[in-house]
Amino acid sequence: MAQMMLLITPELCTGCRLCEGACSFHHYRVIQPSRSRITVVKFEDRGLDVPVTCLQCDDAPCVAACPTSALWKDEESGLVVYEAERCIGCKSCITACPFGGVGWDAETNSILKCDWCGGDPQCARICPTGAIKWVRADQADDTKRRMVALRMQEVAQNLMAPKRAGV
Amino acid sequence: MRFPYKGYAGKILRVDLTSGKIREVNTPKEWARKYLGGDGMAARLLWEEVGPGVNPLGPDNKLIVATGPVTGTIWHTSGRVVAVSKSPLTGIWGEAHSGGHFGPEIKYAGYDMIVVEGASSKPVYLSIYDGKVEIRDASHLWGKDTYETTEMIREELGDPAVQVASIGQAGENLVKYAAIITNYHDAFGRTGMGAVMGSKRLKAIAVRGFGAVEVAHPDEFYEFALEGHRRVLESDQAMELRRFGTPMLVAVKQAIGELPTKNHWVGVFDRYHSIDAETLREKYWVATKSCFGCSTACKKKHLVRAGEFAGTFTGGPEYEAVFAFGSSAMCDNLPAILRLNLLCNKYGVDVISAGKTMSFVMELFEKGILTKDDTGGFELRWGDYHAMLEALDMIVFRKGFGDLMAEGVRAMAQRIGRGAEKYAMHVKGLEISGQDGRAHRSAGLTHAVSARGADHMRSLVTVDQLAYWDTARERFGEDKVEGVVNGYSEAYKGLAVKMHEDAYAVRDSLIVCWYTVGWPPIFWMDDFARLAYLVTGEEAFKDVREMWVIGERINNLKRAFNVRLGITKRDDTLPERFTKEPMPAGPAKGQVVNLDVMLDEYYTLRGWDLKTGLPTREKLVELGLEDVAAELERLGKLPRSERPPEGEGGVGEAG
Repeated sequence: MAQMMLLITPELCTGCRLCEGACSFHHYRVIQPSRSRITVVKFEDRGLDVPVTCLQCDDAPCVAACPTSALWKDEESGLVVYEAERCIGCKSCITACPFGGVGWDAETNSILKCDWCGGDPQCARICPTGAIKWVRADQADDTKRRMVALRMQEVAQNLMAPKRAGV
Repeated sequence: MRFPYKGYAGKILRVDLTSGKIREVNTPKEWARKYLGGDGMAARLLWEEVGPGVNPLGPDNKLIVATGPVTGTIWHTSGRVVAVSKSPLTGIWGEAHSGGHFGPEIKYAGYDMIVVEGASSKPVYLSIYDGKVEIRDASHLWGKDTYETTEMIREELGDPAVQVASIGQAGENLVKYAAIITNYHDAFGRTGMGAVMGSKRLKAIAVRGFGAVEVAHPDEFYEFALEGHRRVLESDQAMELRRFGTPMLVAVKQAIGELPTKNHWVGVFDRYHSIDAETLREKYWVATKSCFGCSTACKKKHLVRAGEFAGTFTGGPEYEAVFAFGSSAMCDNLPAILRLNLLCNKYGVDVISAGKTMSFVMELFEKGILTKDDTGGFELRWGDYHAMLEALDMIVFRKGFGDLMAEGVRAMAQRIGRGAEKYAMHVKGLEISGQDGRAHRSAGLTHAVSARGADHMRSLVTVDQLAYWDTARERFGEDKVEGVVNGYSEAYKGLAVKMHEDAYAVRDSLIVCWYTVGWPPIFWMDDFARLAYLVTGEEAFKDVREMWVIGERINNLKRAFNVRLGITKRDDTLPERFTKEPMPAGPAKGQVVNLDVMLDEYYTLRGWDLKTGLPTREKLVELGLEDVAAELERLGKLPRSERPPEGEGGVGEAG
């Protein structure tokens, strides 16, 4: 089976944080954004929202940093797997991650890291704008191209609209 | 003890700024059962604790910030929150709702409501951070606008995710229609809630919570929430709202002759295209945003790239700002409207009351009731946006004539005299929002009877305005549908307004948004009943009839609050413009509002006294408001025939 990935397109994000709610709900059956494994970073004064989560790196700094192999890369699915029972809570992974994709859960003394909800990521399921999409990794570029092309088509249609062209 | 219902935090945070005392109390279970939350619970608290003698700007008034059981869940539009207080603008029931992310954060912080009373001797702000509640010094923030305040508090607390509800200079200067702004772009707009904060020298409430909101039936709730989002995404109108935001109403209203123009003189604006959503989108749009938990995403960010107002970057404007600063003031300069909108957010001002105050002054100048001699040389003429910007500055800082403009149109008319009252577009002291009963009959009744005055949010019916035949058929039945959808007819408008007012009271107490309930019509009472049950676990909420009772109870309680302050049928009125001046042009040409016939129907269905508009003992008791009936009786404010016989003449008198 082809590897999947979460394709994030920040310019489509409206900042509703449904992803945070759905993530916490899937894992804890409550709505608690502070324990979500995905976080929308907001720059409200500039109208910008960026969903940030684990990108499941191939050569993952968190895996390299983990002294107890609590984090390891599953080559088949592409997921960076977290095994809480091996974790000693050193937080090296949080330090190592270049993206801020790993967090700390004070309630359970374990890390907060995306696990793709076991294969059906709820953030992508609930995202109302397509800012987070669950796609085949080898087709992500195509998905992105189509989204960009669709916007270009809108622009083109506006520019070439009859009233503008003087037709 | 854990709160018996899910959805709620179970605690109320009470802060006394006079003594500096902070305490937590349990949310009364009975309040949740009888009033749901949000608006309803706040109404109960205000009724019990803010008596008729309280000065809205005195320490005895209370500012209630309330969430509902749905707030902070992932139900569509679960980001709403309401501020309730006795209004300094109107002197009666005050209420303003906000979207954004402030409400959910209160729940995550562990509270259903925050209640602030007393007044501080020096500027302070309230900080609620991870279970720690502090009253902090705000001397360095006093005099700052809401943008600066938000930034400085976030920096001070070292966390950019802190949710800040703050006042700007307008609230500090007790402008009667000052707003509370949350995180730059969202507002508790109406009825002067910002002035209440200013009077308490409370600059801001900053909240960050790390807790959870639980629901009673997680799996069913989750599936229902996903279904709800799907329904929104499948709605063409909701997606049109996402594309254009509420300013799309400019063109919609122009088409039906309900775009208030020239201080509500007429319902069409010949230059409407200069300020409509198409122009806004094409020239100024930069981003589409949403409040917490919302799939619609009607919020827009706009940027003026060139010209006199270049660099103006603002959240909004919403339709109401476009009408108030645009058509109502005969201003077709969209960049100026964006600028005014931005400044209102920064200063913390209600855009509707500000715009309507300006158009009122413009009309007084036109009619010669005001001259430069009255205003210290200041002049405000139709469409003069430079003067409007100056006026806003004068209002916020109470400079010169601005000191009077800061009081709102009712107070201004009283002070100016000379027939100015005729042009003061208000009901019960609240400036009229962007509807016109002559083109949209139910809106006339809504403005006349709403608890906070000329309101468009508490009972606005859209089935007549936008001719939703199918929805009208479902709600009113085949026999009434033709009358209901006719916006130029009084037929069944009492019924429609009463029904919507009760449904919206439930909506405002859960709390969910106006949009996708009022317009477009996607969610209604059956959904609310299911939602309330799944979230809270209270079996009785399953029954939609119970939802209707709760809605009616809340509206009767709000009415009782106003009645205790002296409101009667006399106040359920409209400016003569709507009842006596036929609409001069446009699709609604020749129309006037026959308010009395709608009022009679409304009072009858409400079970209120036809002559006085007072709630009857029978109705209050039926709704489980015996104590409210007793209090009104004690004050002599039940309809006369309702009073127990007391000697001669007491019996058999017509109510």
